[in-house]
Amino acid sequence: MMDVGRHPNIELMAYSEVEDISGYVGNFKVHVRKKARYVDATECTACGDCAKVCPIVMPDAFQAGLATRRAIYIPFPQAVPSAYIVNADECLGNNPIACGKCIQACDKGCIDFDMLDEIVALDVGAIIVATGMDVYDPTALDEYGYTSIVDVITSMEFERLISAGGPTEGHFVRPSDRTRPKRIGFVQCVGSRTLHSEKNPDGARGNPYCSNICCMNTIKDSLLLKDHYPDTEITVFYMDIRAFGKGFEDLYMTSKAKGVRYIRGLPGEVVADDATGNIHLYVENTATGLLEEHDVDLLVLSVGTVPCKETDLVRQLLTLSRTGDGFLMEAHPKLKPVDTPTKGVYVAGCAESPKDIKDSVTQASAAAARAEILLNAPKIKVEAITAVVDPDLCKMCGQCAAVCPFSAILWEKKQVARVVSAACAGCGTCAAECPFDAITMRHFTDQQVYAMIDAILETNPLEKILAFACNWCSYAGADTAGTARLQYPANARLIRTMCSGRVKPDFVWYAFQKGAPMVLVSGCHFADCHYINANRQTVRRVDALWEGLEQHGVRPERLQIDWCSAAEGQKWARIMREVEELRAAVTPDEVERTQEALAGKKVPRTSQVWRLKAPAPATLACYRCGHTWPVTFNLEEDKERMCPACRSNSVRVVL
Amino acid sequence: MSKENDEQIIDVSGFDPHFRDEIAAEPGGEHIRRCYSCSTCTAGCPVAGVTDKYNPRRIIHMALLGMREQVLNSDFAWLCSVCYTCYERCPQDVRIPELMTAIRNVAVREGIIPATFKLQVAKLREHGRLYEIEAFENERRADYGLPPIEEETEEVRTLLDHVGVKEEP
Repeated sequence: MMDVGRHPNIELMAYSEVEDISGYVGNFKVHVRKKARYVDATECTACGDCAKVCPIVMPDAFQAGLATRRAIYIPFPQAVPSAYIVNADECLGNNPIACGKCIQACDKGCIDFDMLDEIVALDVGAIIVATGMDVYDPTALDEYGYTSIVDVITSMEFERLISAGGPTEGHFVRPSDRTRPKRIGFVQCVGSRTLHSEKNPDGARGNPYCSNICCMNTIKDSLLLKDHYPDTEITVFYMDIRAFGKGFEDLYMTSKAKGVRYIRGLPGEVVADDATGNIHLYVENTATGLLEEHDVDLLVLSVGTVPCKETDLVRQLLTLSRTGDGFLMEAHPKLKPVDTPTKGVYVAGCAESPKDIKDSVTQASAAAARAEILLNAPKIKVEAITAVVDPDLCKMCGQCAAVCPFSAILWEKKQVARVVSAACAGCGTCAAECPFDAITMRHFTDQQVYAMIDAILETNPLEKILAFACNWCSYAGADTAGTARLQYPANARLIRTMCSGRVKPDFVWYAFQKGAPMVLVSGCHFADCHYINANRQTVRRVDALWEGLEQHGVRPERLQIDWCSAAEGQKWARIMREVEELRAAVTPDEVERTQEALAGKKVPRTSQVWRLKAPAPATLACYRCGHTWPVTFNLEEDKERMCPACRSNSVRVVL
Repeated sequence: MSKENDEQIIDVSGFDPHFRDEIAAEPGGEHIRRCYSCSTCTAGCPVAGVTDKYNPRRIIHMALLGMREQVLNSDFAWLCSVCYTCYERCPQDVRIPELMTAIRNVAVREGIIPATFKLQVAKLREHGRLYEIEAFENERRADYGLPPIEEETEEVRTLLDHVGVKEEP
């Protein structure tokens, strides 16, 4: 931190908040609120005279509430800049009657209560998000007694108690009677590997993922204790010890060799014995299958990690997406692990997923290098697949700007939409949305797609399945099926688009008008969309098409939709077999009637389902196997729809 | 190897690998496959605290292994007191009390019902309650100012017949 503070090329803005970010790769404009700290940071020498006279005493958050600080304080000893700060909400104010003691105490006159917040505008080329994480709060797990028993503490509190810079200066004592605990228990997986369910809807009792760092943290803590106080009896209650990193297994073995007991089984009940001050645990040792009772002097809950609570704010500022666990999503889990879907924005550390110091440093180094590559290039190259607006055809409606996941389309009322090529990722969902055909997707033009549909349906159209497959997942999934030599009907003809969001409803309509028996639209799984959430537009368009087909007496089942990842070759083969079965049932008569019914008819673009303002009772109908089931449908929470009977995604919401 | 050791070895060859699916298909048993044996259920279970005959984690583990005969023929699934402590705490939302009901339902279909439960049903048929109403009970009620009650056997019998509980279950 000191090095960062001193570096001539690094401007550190502590106690500041990002208010707004606009622009695009290479040309971001960032507005930062530098909050008033009421102390001149360049003059303050951190002598601490001010804090000595401050009458306000508050819990010290850095010491996990185990110590106190004043209203004028330094957040933690190594803080950069090394200067005091006034918490204005707590301070009594510069009023001679009320207080103002610190001003008198400060010889250098650094304290200035007239300081104001300052908004700083910065021009930056690249942004690295490293906003970190929070720690899980075990209050809801009342079986562990965290709030009712003083000597049940979290691993963060343990860290402060054993730290030389902690409230006890490294003399390890338990909170209740300030004696050194001789028997210490650790409970693993607190707040981790816990499914969200009816009784745990918001993750108060824990989150589904493994928090990554808690096992090794406990092993490290056990070694620290054994080093400081070899006579300590340590028992770790766990269900799986995940010691997967370099040197980790060694540490685990060392801990065991030093006499730390590892018992497989989580405690079910923790009770305090007021007479002795002991903590009594009931646990089943699953190795023996017997219920055991343990007494410890101090119990440490090895708490998991949670996304930092401002993650959603960061996501909105930078148009990023979050994975199901709430952490920020990388552009590709394997090939672009530090890039985000927004060009010029990179991610490092626990903002992306829970990780330890080494992994954070690795990812941060990578993110810095990625940003460096971008900043050192005199020009950046964009793939030649971006969108272009034809100003003669544009009717200035702005629908394209509304669906662009990257905010790459600049549009104002009564103005022709303009695409920022540097920000455009080429998904094509704008071109699919434009009702006036005013947007051309380079190398994926409407003309090219229509020509492909014509070619596919030129001979024996009745035997063909017309399938739209997205470049990243479905097309790659079909490739996987091929390289794995999986057998499936070979009569599908694939049209590759960058994203399923490129599939214009007109394409599907045209295919049916031309006599296609079956059309399949396929893309990435919902959480995996390579264009943030462009495939949500796909669902909306398919919903509209289903309604339109039904209105004109065409069986909507003939339009299928499925999500298939690049690894799901098996799934692709299954989709092909199932869709082929449906195709075989389409008769020449039916196709002819469809062509008559749809001739000259307008392409449906809106769906009743997507006009819902509130949750409504509905029936979900699987168009693959015919299974139906009732739900209360909430458009806000409409995730990946899947049939519980056949696992297909061709599920329509029937109101 | 001693005989004692021999008995501790589990021979999986005779097990029914589809037993878990059979339970999962039963209402309440859907989440059985989620269990990762953390044993939060057993460690907090009031019944397991007094008898080692009942151990929910072990029952689930046996069911997952496919020990169909042992699970259905033993009375341990019937010992659950349905207090829902494990239900609240299970990190994988296995819904253990409902799972135990699912196992009982499979057992009942196979005609396996512990004698106590048969006796209880017989008592219900006989008296309309789990115990006989005699003058003593009504005297006690009168002491507390409560009206006397009579056995309403017919209604209960009708109910039992209606839900299909047979004379001799």
